[in-house]
Amino acid sequence: MVKINIDGQELELEAGTTILEAANEVQVNIPTLCYLEDLSVYGGCRLCVVEIIGEEMLRPACTTEIEDDMQIKTHSKKVREVRRNIFELIISSHDIDCKLNCLTCARSTNCELRDVGEQIDMQEMRLDAIERNYVDDSSSHSIVRKPNKCIACTRCIRKCEEVQGVGIFTKANRGPETVITTFKDRGMGNVDCTNCGQCIQACPTGALHESYHYNSVWHFLNDSSKFVVVQTAPAVRVALSEGFGEQPGTVATGQMVAALRRLGFDRVFDTNFTADLTIMEEGHELIDRIQNDGQLPMFTSCSPGWIKFIEHFYPEYLDNLSTCKSPQQMLGAVTKSYYAEQQGIPPEDIVVVSVMPCTAKKFESVRPEMDKDVDFVLTTRELIRMIKEFSLDMMNLAEEPYDKLMGTSSGAADIFGASGGVMEAALRTAYEVITEEELENLDFTAVRGTNGIKEAEVEIGDLTLKAAVVSGLGNAKELMERIEAGAEYHFVEIMACPGGCAGGGGQPIPTNQEIVEQRLNSLYEIDKHKSLRKSHQNPEIKQIYAEYLGEPGSEKAHELLHTSYVVRNI
Amino acid sequence: MEEKILLKEGIDIDLKGRGGDTPPAEPNINEYDFFVLEEALNLDREEIIEQIKEAYLKGRGGAGFPTGLKWEMALAEEAEQKYMICNADEAETGTFKDRYLLENVPFKVLEGIIIGAYAIGAEQAYIYMRGEYARPRNVFSKAIEEAYKQGLLGEDILGSGFNLELRLIKGAGAYICGEETALLNSIEGKRGRSRTKPPYPIQKGLFDQPTAVNNVETLASCREIIRIGAKEYKSLGTKESRGTKLVCLSGDIWKPGVYEVEFGQVTIKEIVEEYGGGTRDDAQLKFIIPGGASTSILPAEKLDIPYCYETLAQAGSSVGSGAIIVVDDSHNLFDLMVTVSRFFMDETCGTCFPCKEGNRQVNHILNKVADKGGFSKEEVEIVKSIGRTIYLSARCGLGQTSLNFIYSILKNYPDEVLLGGDKHGKD
Amino acid sequence: MGDVSFLERLHNLQDTYGYIPEKEIVSLAEEYDVPKAKIFGVISFYSMLYTEPTGKFIVRVCDSLSCYLNESDDLVRAVKDYLGIGHGETTEDKRFTLEVVECLGYCGEGPVMMINDKVYTYVSEKKALNILSNCL
Repeated sequence: MVKINIDGQELELEAGTTILEAANEVQVNIPTLCYLEDLSVYGGCRLCVVEIIGEEMLRPACTTEIEDDMQIKTHSKKVREVRRNIFELIISSHDIDCKLNCLTCARSTNCELRDVGEQIDMQEMRLDAIERNYVDDSSSHSIVRKPNKCIACTRCIRKCEEVQGVGIFTKANRGPETVITTFKDRGMGNVDCTNCGQCIQACPTGALHESYHYNSVWHFLNDSSKFVVVQTAPAVRVALSEGFGEQPGTVATGQMVAALRRLGFDRVFDTNFTADLTIMEEGHELIDRIQNDGQLPMFTSCSPGWIKFIEHFYPEYLDNLSTCKSPQQMLGAVTKSYYAEQQGIPPEDIVVVSVMPCTAKKFESVRPEMDKDVDFVLTTRELIRMIKEFSLDMMNLAEEPYDKLMGTSSGAADIFGASGGVMEAALRTAYEVITEEELENLDFTAVRGTNGIKEAEVEIGDLTLKAAVVSGLGNAKELMERIEAGAEYHFVEIMACPGGCAGGGGQPIPTNQEIVEQRLNSLYEIDKHKSLRKSHQNPEIKQIYAEYLGEPGSEKAHELLHTSYVVRNI
Repeated sequence: MEEKILLKEGIDIDLKGRGGDTPPAEPNINEYDFFVLEEALNLDREEIIEQIKEAYLKGRGGAGFPTGLKWEMALAEEAEQKYMICNADEAETGTFKDRYLLENVPFKVLEGIIIGAYAIGAEQAYIYMRGEYARPRNVFSKAIEEAYKQGLLGEDILGSGFNLELRLIKGAGAYICGEETALLNSIEGKRGRSRTKPPYPIQKGLFDQPTAVNNVETLASCREIIRIGAKEYKSLGTKESRGTKLVCLSGDIWKPGVYEVEFGQVTIKEIVEEYGGGTRDDAQLKFIIPGGASTSILPAEKLDIPYCYETLAQAGSSVGSGAIIVVDDSHNLFDLMVTVSRFFMDETCGTCFPCKEGNRQVNHILNKVADKGGFSKEEVEIVKSIGRTIYLSARCGLGQTSLNFIYSILKNYPDEVLLGGDKHGKD
Repeated sequence: MGDVSFLERLHNLQDTYGYIPEKEIVSLAEEYDVPKAKIFGVISFYSMLYTEPTGKFIVRVCDSLSCYLNESDDLVRAVKDYLGIGHGETTEDKRFTLEVVECLGYCGEGPVMMINDKVYTYVSEKKALNILSNCL
């Protein structure tokens, strides 16, 4: 144990503890910018410097380990002065101008720079703005990068490389030209980016944000000739309320539906419905592959970040991907066919909007393989913006139900928003379809939780189904290495974002492990309290097969609900 | 006037009229006697370190850390692999002494590397040389090649049982790589950004193994200490500044060059006037920079002090790399500040915010000031506070010292730099 | 990366091609199992390595303090005028790439100019133009 004194507080902590961690023990939150839990420590921003009595130079709290009898001052005169000066320097080259660009910034309401500025009590700005004149990178369908706002803290680099195992970003050049960029400045749309959006979650500023669709959505909401349909993903209902000051995990399904109607959407459908539909199709596909010596393991195909990842890095495994479209695309497809037919609306007059916890869904919606099933994709954050602009007191709206035909869902669909949820939903249905017996315990707890790689063996009749559940692309990479080394599975669920869609790149900022866990708990709570908990028992699912699709895996189903993939270069 | 140790062989030191265009003859290994190396390899590691410690040699690269202590700590570290690295990434403006040693007495440097590696128990050594040093690289590469042939490198060197592999790494154009931790990253094939210290290289250096990084002149001096003995070496210089130092004279001076001086025996003024022949064209001496662009200036009237670590520290500056840049009064101070500031701005590794943004902002202010011909009082305060901030919080020595020049100009010539002040020199 | 030969390999590619072509970066990325962006980041850090083609002659003119005191600003201006390009640019005929650099380590002999691996010292404007006109 190491004895130290921080701001007059004596304490004893384990060797190896950093000053930053030690300060937390005495309830002091030293300001940081480049530091982010779960990423390697960078020690670049120097905002966390503290004074050690007896030393002239200040030391960064994030990288400095405590030593015996260290006397630490976290807010001495010297420290406060230096922090303010560093902050002033950061701000000076952070694209400050007089065009209200703080207000128009993607992070106007949750800017970490502003938080730090407040924390260290910035009282004046003495420095000139340094113009950097970089061009915004709009090459990606999912993500926009604004290098002028980038402070080069490298959190995006580290997130992409360390957590997601991809590494599209690098620091380039040196000196004043030091900049974070992609390979040869190609732009995010022209490199091996998976569009997962985890970089946005890591960014402390407005240098990264989703490619906005909400202005187009406003446009069509005001166009009376269009029939505008919206669908909401499972993970949105447990996160949207964070934008309105609620605790993470506060469920707001009914309020969200009400708000969407108030915004002017003609129909509000639930992506959960097509999550159940996915289980029917994907479950059928899995059983078919197992029974007829098909390509195994079968990988899930709900996560477009994962799809792009495998297309770039493991194209030799494309045949292992389920051919099912994701629930988002399925809902778009059946809206423009089944629903259009039922209601007698010309499909070309229908605009399908989805609300997703995801940025990669924007790219997915424009994939040529997808037939424009979905027209616009809003992230959870974009919907928050829209509801706020409409000045709705959302949490006090009376709860409303989804619209009929594609609004009913099972609890199995709700947990699609959690890593392991697709697996669990599939197991519930596969068990009953294969064994024709009722499943007694619906909770497959082995595949729940935020562990990056989960494995389970499930007895289904004579079959011992070997399953793996992965979230986070870095973990996906590890699993693929295991498979390449000979590991065998029947069914593998992979979600690009840590924790699954609840931790998606389009979710409210901040999204961290603690918050993700709260959102996940709520999803499992919703499932637990539903009487309908198995996809194949969803009456609207039965109805769509009876009235329109026929059987799972039918020709019609294939035409509408299945897709193909392409090999991409690294 | 004083003892010559490093340059005893009497090589041409006045550069005027010769220059890089017509380089000196390449040294021949067959004309060189490696008796010092042989002697060293017969000593215990501890005995060598004791000698270097007793000689109280300080690192000649700029930071001045006691070499013996560094080696002692490196030897004490337990590890499967240790590394000895010779830092030949000489790039501090005004410094060219290491190039001089590498080109003219490469075998001395080579001996120093082998002795150092032996002393700390390293069987792998690297010399990291700046990419621009094409000729020194050729000379030294050949020296390494020949040394292998003659059994001075490789296995069982001179029958001592000591094995050492030495490899030259060519830098690729980045001043920051002279900073020891950035140098390590560069050898590992990474961006040359500095590492956070601690851990220090002697604890966790190249590939996280204990590593001693020593400057070219330092290692050559170690060789000389073994040759003449710590006692004799120690008898030269002053209490805190033992032995001799190579100084590089450049700037507004008649006879620029590399000169070896005994610490404490000669004043800076004498160095400038007697070795350097004084300022050119009889211009008035304005100030000198004693140790490269990262050290604080000394104005002309404060040069009557013996050249050594103690006096320079008292005068608010430092021996640094030994690069004495002489500046006469014909220059515009603002232009000089912009030039030096641009150097540091361009050469920061871009990692730590105070250094990257601070040097950028200071350069911006200086350009503005140069345009309007003077600082406002507020601008002086801002530059000073940025300087203090970088000094206190930057990640490495480059940042910490990057504003010394600017800061010392402001301090020494407050009246000349302020708007409306009394400006000497041409506009 | 994580390899003492890495920098040398980059140098060799630079010498072979006059820059480091994309296909070589991609194959290095595969070999070292690192993102190609990271290798780009390394190359771009060093001023002697390029990811775009350079001229046959890379002209480096020092503009640091010691050379500046010896009127390197005039030399820089003369070279720029003669070549018709600025810092970091390459002439249309691909003969010259100009770099105005910080310190080449010949501070006692300034102003200094380096063309590929050869150093020229005490470079007057006249001498510079003479040297450049002989670069064929």
